[in-house]
Amino acid sequence: MNDSVPLLAVQGLHKAYRKHKLVVPVLNGVDLEVQAGEFLCVLGASGSGKSTLLHLIGTLDAPDSGSVWLEGQRIDNAPAHQRDRLRNATFGFIFQFYHLLPELTALENVLIPAMMERSLWSWCWQGRTLRQRATQLLERVGLGHRLHHQPCELSGGEMQRVAIARALMNQPRVLLADEPTGNLDEEKGEEIVRLLRDLNAQEGLTMIMVTHNRDLVAPTDRVVRLVKGRVEPTQNPVVAHTPAIFELPRRVAL
Amino acid sequence: MYKWLLCWRYLRTRYLALVCIFSVMLGVATLIVVNAVMGGFSTKLRERLHGILSDVMIEAHDYNGFGNYHDKMERIRRDPYLAEQVVAMAPTLEIFAIVQYRMGFQEVYQRANLVGIELESRSAIGGFAEFVVKRPNAPKFELDAEGRKRQELLRQRGEMEIPTPVPPLPGAGPEFPPGIEPPPAGELLPLPEPPPYRDEPFLPPCCIIGHAMAHRRYQESDKPAIEVPILPPGEEVIVTTISGGRFAPVNSVFTVCDYFRSEMSEYDSNYIFVPLDYLQKLRAMEGRVSSIQIRLKDESRKKEVVERLKQLLGEGVLVQTWEDKQGALLAAISIEKGILNVLLFLIIAVAGFGILAIFSMIVVEKTRDIGILKALGASHLGVLQIFLAYGLLLGLVGALCGTGLGLLITHYINEIEALLSSSFGMEVFPRNVYYFDKIPTNIHPSQILFINVCSILIAVVFSILPALRAALLHPVRALRFE
Repeated sequence: MNDSVPLLAVQGLHKAYRKHKLVVPVLNGVDLEVQAGEFLCVLGASGSGKSTLLHLIGTLDAPDSGSVWLEGQRIDNAPAHQRDRLRNATFGFIFQFYHLLPELTALENVLIPAMMERSLWSWCWQGRTLRQRATQLLERVGLGHRLHHQPCELSGGEMQRVAIARALMNQPRVLLADEPTGNLDEEKGEEIVRLLRDLNAQEGLTMIMVTHNRDLVAPTDRVVRLVKGRVEPTQNPVVAHTPAIFELPRRVAL
Repeated sequence: MYKWLLCWRYLRTRYLALVCIFSVMLGVATLIVVNAVMGGFSTKLRERLHGILSDVMIEAHDYNGFGNYHDKMERIRRDPYLAEQVVAMAPTLEIFAIVQYRMGFQEVYQRANLVGIELESRSAIGGFAEFVVKRPNAPKFELDAEGRKRQELLRQRGEMEIPTPVPPLPGAGPEFPPGIEPPPAGELLPLPEPPPYRDEPFLPPCCIIGHAMAHRRYQESDKPAIEVPILPPGEEVIVTTISGGRFAPVNSVFTVCDYFRSEMSEYDSNYIFVPLDYLQKLRAMEGRVSSIQIRLKDESRKKEVVERLKQLLGEGVLVQTWEDKQGALLAAISIEKGILNVLLFLIIAVAGFGILAIFSMIVVEKTRDIGILKALGASHLGVLQIFLAYGLLLGLVGALCGTGLGLLITHYINEIEALLSSSFGMEVFPRNVYYFDKIPTNIHPSQILFINVCSILIAVVFSILPALRAALLHPVRALRFE
């Protein structure tokens, strides 16, 4: 870990879910630092709090205690409008279940984050440029021919690629991927992870990927493990043994 | 921008929302049709009420009428302001009466309003000459050739021998009850002369009788209604009324020479117009009338004219506008319309509850989408605006469709009425009630605008609660919603 201010820092993060009198603790003092351009894999079993951690980092939820810092600025207690802005422009979310809006086409789904920060008037001026950018992003993830297809007309892997293009639309600084391959078969999962890894390598995009699948971890990744609501630094499990997927020829042209 | 895109997409893809649109559409269409028809009836009724009544009238306080009417009219003509405003004046003597005539072998007695007029001045007032059936705009108190022929025929057949009413005894009149001072002899009007009767050479004066009084309407099933004249021109009627002052019964025979058809049921079934001078003589009221009808150059000045007339003529007479005279009826129509509007807006309010229920369902259905939007940076306000705009769009589309449907129904209302009548075998709009050939309609753009704005407002108001619910959803819980 270097001495400069980390891009993201999490200090003593606690979070518990409550139902009536029952309290289910999920995170019990998580401390974590992420440097710019890093590819961080958060490994953990189901129910270990990986998604919760990602939600807290992305200001989708508020911690019970502890803090989240972005470039030395505390963001977990920022005003609502500031957190909305962070989710829109600084963080890009990729979910396990893709979470595309079913009424919109692939292109419109990608355009949605760009629309959020613009009025109807400014859209009239910038719409064409933004549309071009969204089209380029979809072409980049290999979906240039499915621009006007609705999510129900796409496969799982294609939907996840649309979700990645959407996450990239506002040029975020951090991509938060929550089990991005969890709903895909092995082959499609590999394609998606390869795509994310390329984005990290080529554009220096900071990536936090949570997964329970240690096969997705690459030798170059920094890996942490969530155990009983705490982060335990761990040795990269693939340093000794590189899984077969990284030796496969690339299927996605990037 | 994304709000409008999502609203538009939800509108196109959520068929459940069509129910909301349909309910708003029906409510708006109903309101427009009802208002147009009621407005049409109201306008037509006002036209007809005004049609037979002059703009302003000077009336006597009692049945004795007032004298010196020529003098009063002259004073009005000499007044600089009134001379400029008044276009025409008509002295009129109006009194209740009983009409007696024979229909087959049966004697018919009917209540009537007997109106003595000068044809020329009454025609100048308006609302009379144009309603005369046989000689429109050129009424005369005389029989046409056909009428004379019928009169001759009836006289030859001896059918004119209708029972002669008992003439009043000379000097008869009501006794003043004990305790009530009779007025001084000079102020009492003279007793009427005995009217001319059959045993004298007598050609009865002519009268113009209400069309509905002179006709009977018959309808056989499946056939259009027909009107049969029971008092064709040349027929005679006996009219009994009271004399002025002493209220002695007086009567006279009149020959029907024309009909009066204003298409106002009340007037057409009650009014009998007779020559003013004859009625004055019959009622022993020479030189007296019950009212002076006044037509103005500019009707909107009627209030000022009334004030001026009151100053000029003093307390002895009652000066009022036609609206004052029919105030109760006009107010009743207005109240009726108001109440109906309130009731119909309740229908839209019911549609509003439908919107509330359907919207709540849509919010539940869209919970995950709301979570996605919040994860992508949508604010609470943004989500709130999506659903409010959705409600606005539903209201807008419903109101626009409703306006189109309402205008279409209003335009083809008579065709629809004919279709319903022929389908169900019953007259939906009985024409003999109002004597309107067609269902009158009157569309006010301002009213349509008001209905549309209110409907859209109701749709928006009822979508506030579900929209608030959507806005306050926790993003993580929304994303995990199954």
